[in-house]
This record gives sequence, C-alpha cells and structure tokens, in this order.
Amino acid sequence: MLVLTRKAGEGIIIGDNIRVSVVEVRGGGIRIGIDAPVEMKIHRQEVYDRILKENKEATQWELVDLNDVSDLLVTRKGSQ
Amino acid sequence: MNKLQTRFGEVEYDPETTLRFPQGLIGFEDLRQFIVMPNQKQGPLFWIQSVEDPQVAFVLSDPTNFFLDYRVVPEQGERDKLGMNEGDECFVLSVVTVHPDRSITFNLAAPILFAPASNRAMQVILEKTHYQTRTPLPTC
Repeated sequence: MLVLTRKAGEGIIIGDNIRVSVVEVRGGGIRIGIDAPVEMKIHRQEVYDRILKENKEATQWELVDLNDVSDLLVTRKGSQ
Repeated sequence: MNKLQTRFGEVEYDPETTLRFPQGLIGFEDLRQFIVMPNQKQGPLFWIQSVEDPQVAFVLSDPTNFFLDYRVVPEQGERDKLGMNEGDECFVLSVVTVHPDRSITFNLAAPILFAPASNRAMQVILEKTHYQTRTPLPTC
C-alpha cells in the first residue's frame, strides 16, 4: 500500500479524474473531499463491508425454510 | 435449454432469458448471470440462482409489499448501466436473508434495481439513509 503524509488543504490525484483532498483535521477525525466522475461509486468502508457480509449470509438458506416462510407469509397476509 | 447442477438439484434454463448483473452483486462481482426460479410456494418471495456458481442463490422480494413508503429512484449513471431508455420501467427488489430460525430480514440498505426491458439488474448501496441491511418485517 502506498502511504503518504498530507496536511489539511493538500490532496492526492489518482489516475486522470479522481482528486482526494484533506479538508479538515479535527479531533480524531479527518474530513476528506473527493472529486470523481459521477458514475464512480464511493462508499464508506464499513458500509460496504456490512453489505458484503449480509450478501454472503443471504446465500446460506435452505429451500425447506424458504417454503415454510412463504407459507407463514401467506397466512400472515390472509390474516390482515 | 441448458442444464445446471445446483445445491437444490438440477435446473433447466434458457440462457437467452437469464437475468444479467453487469457488475455482479457486492461481494459477488464475478457472478453476472442468474436464473429466475419459479416459485414452489405462493407468496412474495422468489429466488435467483447463479449460473456461474451453483452454490450461490439469493432470495429476493419486492420490498414495497411490506414497506409501503420505500422508494429508490435510479440515478442517470445507474440507468445507463441498466441499459434503460427514456420511459423504461425500473423495479426495486430486496435481497432477503432467511435466518435459521425462519425469520426473514430485508436488506433495504442495498436494493437491487431491475430493468425488465433490458433484463439487467444491479445492486446499489444507498448512502445517507436510515435503511438497515437487516430490516425485520414490520409487525402488523
């Protein structure tokens, strides 16, 4: 991994069209500004990781459970 | 028709009508082609089976059946990736986690956008929302 030291107001250019700048350093946090093409998705690491984990868990199901849940949902809908 | 051995048994499918995820799903970026499986049961849940990995299948559902005010509008970049033209419809689906205790949760934080006209879909991450990856069914 490339590690660089930057101060507030300084930045980094990645490739032709991504610019990352340090907006503010305060307390334990760093505010980062990112200029990138609109089609480029930018996510907080922990949000991305949470969704990746949930997707992996979502593949661990059994058909018998799905069928039972479907029956329960139909009953539930009927009772509304 | 092609045949595929999955963890649920053998599945026959028409490769022309599979659902395409041009970017895969998050964590499953290499899986681009899915078979939409017919329901064995009535109800709002259905599932998609990966063609590339027989072990991978996701349960999906239309979240608006349960979360009446849930709305996701695709951005222009997403419309382009879905191959949507002006006026084309886009549906929102959720990945459903079926837990071992047979409860289910909806991943409302990362919905799937589905464009029927192109038969393409993509999973998007909603930033700046209060929606959770494990949203239980609302109590009625």
